[in-house]
Amino acid sequence: MKQILMGNEAIALGLVHANVDMVSGYPGTPSSEILGNFEKFSKKFDCETYAQWATNEKVGFEVAYAGAIAGKRTCTTLKQVGLNVASDALMSASYIGHLGAMLLVSADDPGFHSSQTEQDSRSFAKFAKIPVFDPATPQEAYDMVKIALDLSQKFETPVMLRPVMRVSHAREICEVDDEVNFQPNKGEFKRDMGRWAAVPPKGRFAQGLEQLRRVDTIAQYNWENFIEPRVKELKGGQTLCLTSGTGDGYVKEATEELGLEADILKLDMPYPLPKEKLEKLFDDYKTVIVFEETYPCIEEQLSSPKLHGKLTNDVHKIDEFSKDKVIQAFNNVGLTDKQSPYQNKKFEDELPVRPPNLCPGCPHRDVYYSIMKVFKKKKSIYSSDIGCYTLALNQGAIDTVLCMGASVAMASGFSIADKSKTVIASIGDSTFTHSGVAPLINAVYQKHRFILVIMDNSVTAMTGRQKTPERANPGVINLKHIVEGCGAVCMEHIYTPDIDESVAFMKEVKKKFEDMDGPLVVIMREFCVLDKERAPAMLPGIYAEVDPDKCVACDICTTQYKCPPMHYNEDHKIEIDPFLCIGCDACIDDLCPTDAFIERKLK
Amino acid sequence: MKYQVVIAGIGGQGAVFLVKVLSIAAGLKDQKCLGTENHGMSQRGGSVSCYVKVGDFYSPAIDEGQADLLIALEGNEGLRNIQYLKKDGGTIIVNADEKFPNIEYKTVKIDAFEKATNGEIPIQALNVYMLGVTLAKDPNFPFNLGDIEEAIKVMNAKMADKNIAVLHKAIEDSRSV
Ligand SMILES: Cc1ncc(C[n+]2csc(CCOP(=O)(O)OP(=O)(O)O)c2C)c(N)n1
Ligand code: SF4
Ligand code: SF4
Repeated sequence: MKQILMGNEAIALGLVHANVDMVSGYPGTPSSEILGNFEKFSKKFDCETYAQWATNEKVGFEVAYAGAIAGKRTCTTLKQVGLNVASDALMSASYIGHLGAMLLVSADDPGFHSSQTEQDSRSFAKFAKIPVFDPATPQEAYDMVKIALDLSQKFETPVMLRPVMRVSHAREICEVDDEVNFQPNKGEFKRDMGRWAAVPPKGRFAQGLEQLRRVDTIAQYNWENFIEPRVKELKGGQTLCLTSGTGDGYVKEATEELGLEADILKLDMPYPLPKEKLEKLFDDYKTVIVFEETYPCIEEQLSSPKLHGKLTNDVHKIDEFSKDKVIQAFNNVGLTDKQSPYQNKKFEDELPVRPPNLCPGCPHRDVYYSIMKVFKKKKSIYSSDIGCYTLALNQGAIDTVLCMGASVAMASGFSIADKSKTVIASIGDSTFTHSGVAPLINAVYQKHRFILVIMDNSVTAMTGRQKTPERANPGVINLKHIVEGCGAVCMEHIYTPDIDESVAFMKEVKKKFEDMDGPLVVIMREFCVLDKERAPAMLPGIYAEVDPDKCVACDICTTQYKCPPMHYNEDHKIEIDPFLCIGCDACIDDLCPTDAFIERKLK
Repeated sequence: MKYQVVIAGIGGQGAVFLVKVLSIAAGLKDQKCLGTENHGMSQRGGSVSCYVKVGDFYSPAIDEGQADLLIALEGNEGLRNIQYLKKDGGTIIVNADEKFPNIEYKTVKIDAFEKATNGEIPIQALNVYMLGVTLAKDPNFPFNLGDIEEAIKVMNAKMADKNIAVLHKAIEDSRSV
């Protein structure tokens, strides 16, 4: 049956068709749509499955892994930096294995479109010694989900699927199974202390030897099942291109369009590779080039003077692939001397930049504005975290961004290192439950003096508004109780789109902090303007415009506040883009020193 | 047949919706098609660019100098992506007023913001409106009105009538462009 699917939908449908009964993940672009779609397909086809967002990736991984130990077919989904968080569990799980099957979907983001690092999950799989599949298209992603789960069951090891953003967010007509024959797998934990609780050194050493043997066997399996059938099509000659994932598409298109002579061998499973057998193929060629995103995962497993790639400085080492980069690599190796047709003139004049920004009307903006009003920049350090609120960088309200949860422990560090300043950390609600609690306990018991603002909009907004634990369990989980349970003093404030009120509250916070000798936690109860359930009741529908006679072009609104509709017009007066303003009313009255912002009269 | 389209706009204008419509339209005709949407970091207000490749392609991304068509939901976002157009034969269909500069590509310009301000079209349907202009003005566009109407119905049956009315209005308006 043919169906138009986005990569992440194809993966989700593949999971249902592969008889997976548990999916546990943590959101992160570009992986976030898999879990929700799995839930949707499960409902549609009446399959009794478990699909839940975990509080972080390590938790998500461990839930799924235990399911696989007990014989279920399971999956965890995360983005590449989420794999760092889950890595402790992964490294050991790779030694121990399981009885059912477990697929680890780690979505990569070459080109840093929405990630803080460009790390390659395939190289992580290699490090952890688990097999990895690298799909090039949604169709392949669908097919590989099924193959990977069967492989996982056969060899009793977690297996990784590594889609990149251009696969997860691509749309394609896919050929999928006509029918769903979902059969729940029996979950039955079989006690085996020697395996599930193997202790170092002896137990783990034995599992380590087993792991090495398993990797060799899977490399051989890789050759017989995925590589050898393709070798027959190779012609031999000047050049062999080894490709993985999306790299394959760019190479195919570029060689076809430019008439470049080359054999292409796509490696569906870039780790583990049958080294000797692959290197034997090189005998028939003068040159071998590896095209892969983004680390030299394949290249590092092979050796030959004929081999070219990132390690020989012939193929780009950072950023997304493109056909232009394929032709550059051919030129670098000396195979061609072609002017790339994949370059073109950009528009010459300077265009106004549109950096990522908070939505019009986002409460985060007011909170940061009031923090900066009350805790002046010169006397403060603003450590922050990862989420929509990071976009307050535009307002100059953030000094540090490291990784999820880091704002809290970094505030500790700054409070020790630079006592002349007030440290104000900010963190989202989802990020706080992800990894903010442990460092808060640390700060309480060591008495670190800083303010932590938890920006609670009751969703994980940046990744598409997944519900947070508190939202999903109203009245059961309460951030304030968590904070107080950690032993910290907590203030709570319900946000309204009234800047003066937010500033007044922040002044109270400042006052309270004066007599504190440990951390002070502030919970701002906000909302997300894209939250269809909650936002309509919170937005008054009062739209702004600017009285040009009053605007003195002081820049306050465009530097400290920066709501996207605000911009200078040709007369150098601020203007509000009526199509962007969502009518939150916040900027009217309190923002402009000359009261130029007024209510727009609707025609 | 091979046809490559870049769709550029601002987050919230519905560029991704157009990728879905074109993918569905291709699917209904059983034509190979790869689309990609770049979600980026901000949910609203940031630059967005999406690609649709109809025909025999293997990679979802579009390189510079390759696109047959650029649909720009906003003028500056159009200019920001202008390098993706084919040096000879590339067309830009852009929502812009008379201040849009003269460029070396075939340009179809229509001021959809003005139409929205005058209440002629709902601003939420800007994306569909520009697709209508494309149907009217790009003779090589691999879909016709019927294909797109069908795809819009498949995508969201409830909103279909409203969206199709906007399509027709755009085609009507394009006569004078
Ligand atoms: C380890 C890790 N996992 C996932 C992500 C993806 N991610 C980016 S921001 C974010 C959470 C944002 O939620 P929240 O803290 O509630 O802030 P909001 O976006 O709602 O303002 C996530 C999960 C990441 N960057 N790092
Ligand atoms: S998605 Fe929600 S939280 Fe994120 S910037 Fe927009 S309004 Fe703010
Ligand atoms: S009312 Fe003001 S602050 Fe609110 S969205 Fe409109 S311009 Fe932005």
